[in-house]
Amino acid sequence: MTTDLRGLQPQHPSLFQLAADGESLDFLYARCPACGTLAFPADVPGCSHCGDPLRDAERIARPGRGELLEYVTLHVPLLPGMEVPRIAADIQLEGGPIEEGVMAGTDESALRVGLPVRAVAVALPDGERFACRFVPQAGACA
Amino acid sequence: MSSWIDDNDGVYVAGIGMHAYQFPSETPYTQLGLTAVRAALADAGLAWPQVHSAYVGTTSIGMAAGRVMFRHLGSTGLAVTQVENASASGSFAFRQACMELATGVSDVVLAVGVDKHGDGRRAADKEGLARLSETANVPAVKFAMMARTYLRERSADAQAMAQVAVKNHGNAARNPYAQFRKPRTLEQVMGSPRVAGDLTVQQCCPRGEGAAAAILVSGRGMRRLGLDPARCVRVRASTACSETPESRYGAAAVDLVRASATAALAQAGVPASRLDLLELHDAFSVEELIYSEAIGVCEPGDGAAYLLRGDSQIGGRCAINASGGLIGMGHPLGPTGIGQIAEITRQLRGEAEGRQHAGATWGMAHMIGLGSVAIAHVLSRADA
Repeated sequence: MTTDLRGLQPQHPSLFQLAADGESLDFLYARCPACGTLAFPADVPGCSHCGDPLRDAERIARPGRGELLEYVTLHVPLLPGMEVPRIAADIQLEGGPIEEGVMAGTDESALRVGLPVRAVAVALPDGERFACRFVPQAGACA
Repeated sequence: MSSWIDDNDGVYVAGIGMHAYQFPSETPYTQLGLTAVRAALADAGLAWPQVHSAYVGTTSIGMAAGRVMFRHLGSTGLAVTQVENASASGSFAFRQACMELATGVSDVVLAVGVDKHGDGRRAADKEGLARLSETANVPAVKFAMMARTYLRERSADAQAMAQVAVKNHGNAARNPYAQFRKPRTLEQVMGSPRVAGDLTVQQCCPRGEGAAAAILVSGRGMRRLGLDPARCVRVRASTACSETPESRYGAAAVDLVRASATAALAQAGVPASRLDLLELHDAFSVEELIYSEAIGVCEPGDGAAYLLRGDSQIGGRCAINASGGLIGMGHPLGPTGIGQIAEITRQLRGEAEGRQHAGATWGMAHMIGLGSVAIAHVLSRADA
């Protein structure tokens, strides 16, 4: 049985939205009108590069793809209610910034530094929202 | 070359006092703090009314922690200022005291760090911005990733950083003010439960509480009060900075530590090789390897080998975290930076019974706060 994610809402609407394929995620950025840097999330109150307040900054969606920079398995719940084990990963997003994300799955052997990854929607247990998880891009192997 | 820290005939630590770090308890914070302050006054041979001003480093107690505590010493009307800067709160309280003395505003200043665990709130959680991962602001995750990168780049294994915890638990076992008092073997450290990545629980600092105090005087004040210069340790440098854009992935903390330490050594006028003592932020074991390279007591890439050769042991080239560090002595936040100062002062005086680093003349206390602020102090014997 598959879940039609198109009927669900994003867990963080300010960060991502469902892409046209109904599975991948697009990330939402603000383009700094002063220096052109892509700010993430789009609702940050200033450009970390030049300090522009980003008022009236253009909002753009980009495919949630990137490159795996580092990853570790979290063995204990570091925050209340957190499910473990999980793999936290630093990812160089194609849009520019480095963000910590969560990998789908718990098998580190499927990963390597430099692996191309993409963001996909994963339904949350509440049945109403989807979260962001990263998976290897098609054709990429560990 | 003279710098601001030498004004008003210099800044000296005249007295130190501690309340041992311990696991969270029902002990009121006032009892922790007053124990440390009274010990520091006695150590300096001064009375409370002689103190002109006090800086209180704390993260989790609440507003006006100093006033509530100090009234039990007598309401003398002194200036009281509270300082919060995450792990570096005590270090920044100490720096404020140094600046007040060097400018001549006061001649006798107290810096005290005191904290209880459990009521700390992080500004990062109030930023109003969502994150792709809810652990994006959790230090254990960032340092576990730094550890992976560090070990991979140096072709080292997880034992290399676990050895930091073995050394520091061993030092803490000899420190009566430390939270942990048991030596740990490599097998015990490696075999303790895993937290994040290759970091096991015995490679992570504990939650705790405690207090540390230092009475600082200007050189002018030292003479006026007739204090014994042989027991006064001179503050040779105080520098602080915050993060800059990463030069490469994962380099932000290294850049931050290097910048603050380099500036402090320049202000003190000594190279890193002159440091006999180095207290640093080993909240997670790998930090000691990374920062010992960044500060320059060993060559880049030599951190793990430096440790394995015994160069960072008490009695080695530069005793790193002779107190036991954050891993062994503990990390109650507010007190931690002043606890470093107390340890270095005790060592430079030759009074660190049971863990004395022979011939100690120069020491650095280095601290970072939530990975984004850094602060360094260099201290020396007054006759150095």
